[in-house]
Amino acid sequence: MVEPIYIVASGLGIAFLLGLFRKTGESLPGLIMLLTLAFMTFVSGQWLISLMFEGGTPQYTYTAGFKPPFSINLLMGQSEAVITTMVNGVGLLGGLYLLDRLKAQGVNSMIVFLLLFVGLNVVVMTRDLFNLFVFLEVSSVAIVGLVLLERSTQSLSAGFKYLLATALISGILLIGIILIYQYAGSLYIDDLVRANLTAVKGGMVAVFLILIAVALELKPFPANGWGLDLYQGAHPGLGALVSGGFATAMVFVLYKLLPMAGGGWQYMMATLGAVTFIGSNLLGIKQGHAKRLLGYSSVGQIGLLMIVVGLSQHLGEALTAIACGLLVSHFLAKSGLFWLAGIIQKDGLRDWAVLRKKPFLLVLFGTFIFALVGFPPFPSFFAKWELIMQLSAAEGFAWAGIVLFGSLLEGIYLFRWLGYSIKLDHQELPSFRLPWQKILPVGISGVALYILGYFATPIASGAGSLSYLPLAFIVLVFLLDFLPARVKNVLSLAGMAFYGYMIMPGLYENDGLRFLFSIIFVIGGILTLLPGFAYTGKRRGFYPAALLMFAGLGQLLTAETLLQFFFAWELMTVGSYILIIRGKRSMRHGYTYMLFSVGGAFLMLAGFGIAYATSGMTSLEALGQVTQWAGWASALIAIGFMTKTATLGLHIWLPGAHAEAESDVSPMVSAILLKAGVFGLLLLFISMGAESAGSKPLFYVLGWLGAITALIANLTAVFQEDAKRLLAYSSIGQLGYILFAFAIMTHVGWLAGFTYTINHFMYKAILFLVVGGIVMRLKTHNMYEMGGLIKRMPYSFIAVLIGIIALSGLPPLSGFAGKWLFYNAGIEKGWYLQGGVVFFSGIIAFLYLYRLIHSVFLGQLKDRHRTVKEISPWFLVPAYVLILGIMAFSANPEWFLKPFGQITAPYFPDSQLTWQSDGTAVGQLGYWNGTQVMAIVMALFVAITLWLIMLNRNAKKVKQFNIVYAAESPETPETTHISYNLYAGYNKALGVLTRPGITGLWNWISEAVTELADQVRRIYSGNGQTYVLHVLTYVVIVYLITTGGL
Amino acid sequence: MEQIGLSHIAITTGILLILTGLWGILTQKNIIKMIIGFSLFDTGIHIVMVGVGYVEGKTAPILDEAVQLKEAARQIVDPLPQAMVLTAIVIGIGITALMLAYALRLYQKNKTLDIQKFNDLKW
Repeated sequence: MVEPIYIVASGLGIAFLLGLFRKTGESLPGLIMLLTLAFMTFVSGQWLISLMFEGGTPQYTYTAGFKPPFSINLLMGQSEAVITTMVNGVGLLGGLYLLDRLKAQGVNSMIVFLLLFVGLNVVVMTRDLFNLFVFLEVSSVAIVGLVLLERSTQSLSAGFKYLLATALISGILLIGIILIYQYAGSLYIDDLVRANLTAVKGGMVAVFLILIAVALELKPFPANGWGLDLYQGAHPGLGALVSGGFATAMVFVLYKLLPMAGGGWQYMMATLGAVTFIGSNLLGIKQGHAKRLLGYSSVGQIGLLMIVVGLSQHLGEALTAIACGLLVSHFLAKSGLFWLAGIIQKDGLRDWAVLRKKPFLLVLFGTFIFALVGFPPFPSFFAKWELIMQLSAAEGFAWAGIVLFGSLLEGIYLFRWLGYSIKLDHQELPSFRLPWQKILPVGISGVALYILGYFATPIASGAGSLSYLPLAFIVLVFLLDFLPARVKNVLSLAGMAFYGYMIMPGLYENDGLRFLFSIIFVIGGILTLLPGFAYTGKRRGFYPAALLMFAGLGQLLTAETLLQFFFAWELMTVGSYILIIRGKRSMRHGYTYMLFSVGGAFLMLAGFGIAYATSGMTSLEALGQVTQWAGWASALIAIGFMTKTATLGLHIWLPGAHAEAESDVSPMVSAILLKAGVFGLLLLFISMGAESAGSKPLFYVLGWLGAITALIANLTAVFQEDAKRLLAYSSIGQLGYILFAFAIMTHVGWLAGFTYTINHFMYKAILFLVVGGIVMRLKTHNMYEMGGLIKRMPYSFIAVLIGIIALSGLPPLSGFAGKWLFYNAGIEKGWYLQGGVVFFSGIIAFLYLYRLIHSVFLGQLKDRHRTVKEISPWFLVPAYVLILGIMAFSANPEWFLKPFGQITAPYFPDSQLTWQSDGTAVGQLGYWNGTQVMAIVMALFVAITLWLIMLNRNAKKVKQFNIVYAAESPETPETTHISYNLYAGYNKALGVLTRPGITGLWNWISEAVTELADQVRRIYSGNGQTYVLHVLTYVVIVYLITTGGL
Repeated sequence: MEQIGLSHIAITTGILLILTGLWGILTQKNIIKMIIGFSLFDTGIHIVMVGVGYVEGKTAPILDEAVQLKEAARQIVDPLPQAMVLTAIVIGIGITALMLAYALRLYQKNKTLDIQKFNDLKW
């Protein structure tokens, strides 16, 4: 094996030798430089493999044959191997990326480039404090030298400010070193750790000066204006090196030196990290410049790592895995992003829309963003999970909260940026060059994130047998994305069917609850994939996203541990986000959806942390074993799930997201996706002890929330002009019913809940499928632009008619079963007032349902629709399959309700509902026989129809235009249409309830946060002297705080 | 009470130089003057280092007639701080040179050396 010293020797030696090549042109030296970096990477990688996987022993290299403290020595241990491999790797890829720039600048720049990496390697490996200082200076000077790759005034001034600040910091470090030497008589780090220097006053000052200097090199908020200016002003290739190489090495230096100080200091470092993580990500929200934003994000992530290093004593054995997971994700994602910035050469975030021209770059961009926020399957996901679990286990809930809050802030600007690049309207999208040596590093970073994510899985407690098979299939579909949509649709359907075949029989045997949801997720998935055949072209990106969502949903059901559940939840979120943002005007809605999802997921994660901490278990049963803070845990998790069920207050993402989505996406995200939240809530309720928990105040609150959600959402639906928006609000209302029913926490209440769940799945899928099909034909969402379509689309009419009868809860269709159970349960529970609210909202539902059928299908056919065809059979077929389901439920309710009873019985054994042999259900308050009701209503229907035909036998048929017009023609014709503003009267009376007060509240919050960010970031005045003052003030304030003087 | 020795004078002078240097960096608008400030700051640190490393009554760490090999450990001052100062001086010169190079480039491009004129990058 090659000795570690050769990393340094080769770099240093070649750097000197390169000077001889000044006359040979730049190609040869460039090649030599890359080969040297490759050699350095090879050596450190070799040690990495040996130490990590082959049980090799760490190696000390002593200089000049003396043992420390009389010589400088280098250590190549496991951590050093990891860090040097990362640093050299970014050097190799970054060197390739910058090669043309370096060639243009001449051989000297290549020498400087090599010296930067020599410096960083020594900084990582050395065990001597002064040696560390020297090579830290070498790296800093090299960075400032490389700033000259770009010779604009901006980069020059940024470089000068950077130089000024780092010179000051190294002065502080130097004073610290000489003081340390005076008190300890050694500069060997291992000696210093043993010496317990902080016990004496002078020693404490020395340690403080050294640690604060290292902390300052990490560019902590707010003393980091010089660093941010460098990120913004310098060539993005250098930004990648600073963020991926220098910062990585410095985090390790902090980790190496922190043991010199005692425990209290570690909290101090964690606090500095927390301030940086929150502060930097907060300021990022207002930032519009891409490279500076990357700087903010970079500083923030390093802050997170400072927290991890500072709290290392609480993380136990998980420390290395957590730190590596976070570090490697940040390293790859951030260098990748900087390199991307250099490729497209756009500074404004909005201009990143050009990425759309090259879909594979867009995919890489998305990969980096998701990796930074910590989504699966990237290493950061597992690391963040484990960090939260370990912090919770040590009862550091405040720290966990800080980590999650900071991550949310980061998500705010990163997902806005991603949204811009996917969807922002852009007049012109200029093309850009794609040299292979610039694409290669970005691509390698992206692919490495996936591969390392796979290998990082065991980091997280409870990863268990996490299945990557569905993801592998999705990757396959993604690689086949060049195929026509129809082919991919067949492939996806086959995949879904196979998946169902794999999981459903097992669930049927063992778990009725999960089987019920598997019907919704898998069968529903297959049915809603069918309309895909109506699309032509390639539909790039649609199938991987849809499959990702369904894989997430399916894995929710098979999850056995908290981690597996959360993994599945996040996969589902990513998939559904991509699906939703595909809609034409969905940029804003996709963004809102993502923020609520991320926020909700983090609340869940906090709740899971409490569960893990108090139960000590990683399995899902942990939720039921929460011994302390149980109220907090269940409230956090419940709110997390309610972001998906769109309960009032957390619903504002839904109407736009569902309404603007593509025609076949709306039924997926409405009829199916929302049920994931319901499933989660049920798991939570069950684990809380079902029956015994029913009296907890949480359920009283949830009951009221459900009722009010139903009322407000239904009322808002009434006033919509947009058919899909109407259905979206209706979904919010229906989910309110479901929440209400389950919150009753009795046998009958749950029966009602299940009935609503399965029914909402069926009729909302039917309605969205048909309305989606109509929208595809008519190219409008507005109901007043439709009308009279019954003649052109009779099958659609029948489907919608059945859908709305079922939804309204009128006999004889299945909705009535839900209502009947619902009132039984509400009255038994004694929730009269809430029940009254729900009853009232049920009546309101008639208004919007009538509007839907009347405005779309009845009335006058528009001229332009005279030749319109029936909607695509690919939309009709699944709708009619679901109608069969509704009919079966309606005619024979016991086929469904009895299994629901079996599902419910383990949790609520004392059922008040009994079944007679003829299929009559008997509750405490009355009885009901679905089959008989069906028969009676059918008989009445036939009788009345016959009677009407009789009465009308003498009526005269007239043509559509056989009517008399008034003498005026209105200027805005649609306002005179009966369907326009149909319920104006009601709007006057009750409309006040539908004013978007909650949207206003969220808007106010977002404006307040943005304004705060804008005010705070003004501390970065751009003046180099101010930055130096920041650094000095930072040192003084932190000193006063640590010594208790403040 | 301890007498005021050479090392005290050195350390006091060094600290004064450090403070003067910082004052220069923070208050002078001219980049050249700021660089001079840095130079003073750096020199101050070097003097402090020498002062801290000096031990009263011992001699330079050079083995010649005045210092016998056997007695060396007792007679000479610790050579390490001095070695460090030498290195630090070299690094300081490097940084000063780089600063001056930047000053030159900035002046060539913008015909000014006022640090306040270079604040395009902010927020």
